[in-house]
Amino acid sequence: MIEEPYRWVEAIANRREYIEDQLRLGSPVVMLNYTEGLLLLTVSRETRKIFEIYDRVAFSALGHPADIERMRLVAIDLAHIEGFNRAVADVSLRRLVHFGMSPALKTAFEQVFSAPYILKMLLAEIGEDPEQDYIVKLDYDGSLARSHTETKEPFDVIAGTSDAEAAMINYLGEHDRNSRRSLEDAMKLAARAWAVGMDTAQTGETEEGEETEKRDLDPEKILKENLKTGHVEAAVLLRNGPSTSRFRLLDEKEVRAAIRDL
Amino acid sequence: MDHPLPIPQFLHDGDFLSVLKLHGYEVAPRLAEVAAKFEAELGKGGIATEGTTVLAVKYKDGVLLAGDRRATAGNLVMYERAEKLITIDARSILAIAGVPAVAFEMARVLEHSFKYYQRSQLQEMSTAGKVRTLSKLLKENLPLTLRGVGMVVPIFATYEQADGKDGGGKVYFYDALGAQFEGVDYAASGSGSIAVRSVLHFLNTWGDKPLAKYNESEAVATALRLLDTAADSDTATSGYNPKSNIFPLVRVITKEGIRETPETELGRIYRSEV
Repeated sequence: MIEEPYRWVEAIANRREYIEDQLRLGSPVVMLNYTEGLLLLTVSRETRKIFEIYDRVAFSALGHPADIERMRLVAIDLAHIEGFNRAVADVSLRRLVHFGMSPALKTAFEQVFSAPYILKMLLAEIGEDPEQDYIVKLDYDGSLARSHTETKEPFDVIAGTSDAEAAMINYLGEHDRNSRRSLEDAMKLAARAWAVGMDTAQTGETEEGEETEKRDLDPEKILKENLKTGHVEAAVLLRNGPSTSRFRLLDEKEVRAAIRDL
Repeated sequence: MDHPLPIPQFLHDGDFLSVLKLHGYEVAPRLAEVAAKFEAELGKGGIATEGTTVLAVKYKDGVLLAGDRRATAGNLVMYERAEKLITIDARSILAIAGVPAVAFEMARVLEHSFKYYQRSQLQEMSTAGKVRTLSKLLKENLPLTLRGVGMVVPIFATYEQADGKDGGGKVYFYDALGAQFEGVDYAASGSGSIAVRSVLHFLNTWGDKPLAKYNESEAVATALRLLDTAADSDTATSGYNPKSNIFPLVRVITKEGIRETPETELGRIYRSEV
């Protein structure tokens, strides 16, 4: 048992350090809006990273595949039980993360004698209009960060390090302020932002302690390199779908056509 | 449920009913509750659609389903806009004869079960799986059926499209106790079903062409004629009601999905063909 309080704090700090280290080289995920809804894009290898949770709710993550799978199933269970016992319209991402997923993660993280979840998540719920979209980042310790509600352009990212995330957000902010972008343009922009994030996280490893100045990045080259071992995985949440389920995983052909010439 | 082997904590087979059970919802008691309420209302004019006609016919592009709109309580007509075709997923429809309350609850469980399976297992449930899920629900309803309350006799129709392979339209019908049968060419359920089945047999065997070769308008016209025929001898079934201008409900399932035939179209076909 931990007798002294500060040893608990020490244990937590160690745990945090360990988890951050494990997450460092995770493949980032980018979320952007486009004319018909929201796009999520990443580069994955063997395991999928972007999933449907409910009619209007999408889930994406980086981290340990088994933990991603577990959180995904927890989210699906919670959403479906609520949707069945009450109504489909009562299922909201806000309640799902606040009352379901976040407390569970915090508990798992703080119980030093049980294993924590090693992952970071980016979840989105598409609303009737962009103001009603709910986009939230959920971390392994249960902390929540709802994104960018002040700007009318919902977009967000998760990456292995906070430097990588900052680099990606900067890149997105600089390169396209046009929220009426087509799906193809959104995919190109997201793929380039992904490359910025992946590279920043990877080179951040070797440049410990140094100031990460603005490097001359070639996103296309970085992406091409990474696509030798992985493939682009992308999904959309449609604002006005033909059916009540608004999630659609894009197929290989669509994706390859879009990113062929960045 | 006790298993001989220790099941790992995270074994997940996509079965929605067992998840519901963990959270306090069990199908059989819930259906009993629904049916008990219905039984209580029966004396006060509770609505049933045992008297009814629903049919499913395999035609050229897939499956056509039609249901009449009358809901009766004994010899009283309670409602003339009953919807007896329930869309379950993008390519499946449940046509119901029997107690609506119980049938709607079953349809709800079915709809959520299919979505849950698809999202958690990352693949759609096979047609065989879907058909069996409905069969399981009907069997859960057995105690009620045997008491003569809350009986549901459905038809399940779907268009099979797995991994890009086109399996075509499929029709399944059930007896009151939950046994499933595949309707090779068609199926009908409800008090007017005998008339409908007789005519369909005649048309399929000795008509100009087999039902499977009918195009959509021919199939729709035939469905309207069939419901009119059933309504002729069965008071619990209504055909087209000219006074209130209420048409039967007609939907088709093709490889593109589900489409309801609009009333204007039904009107046009009715006036020219029926």
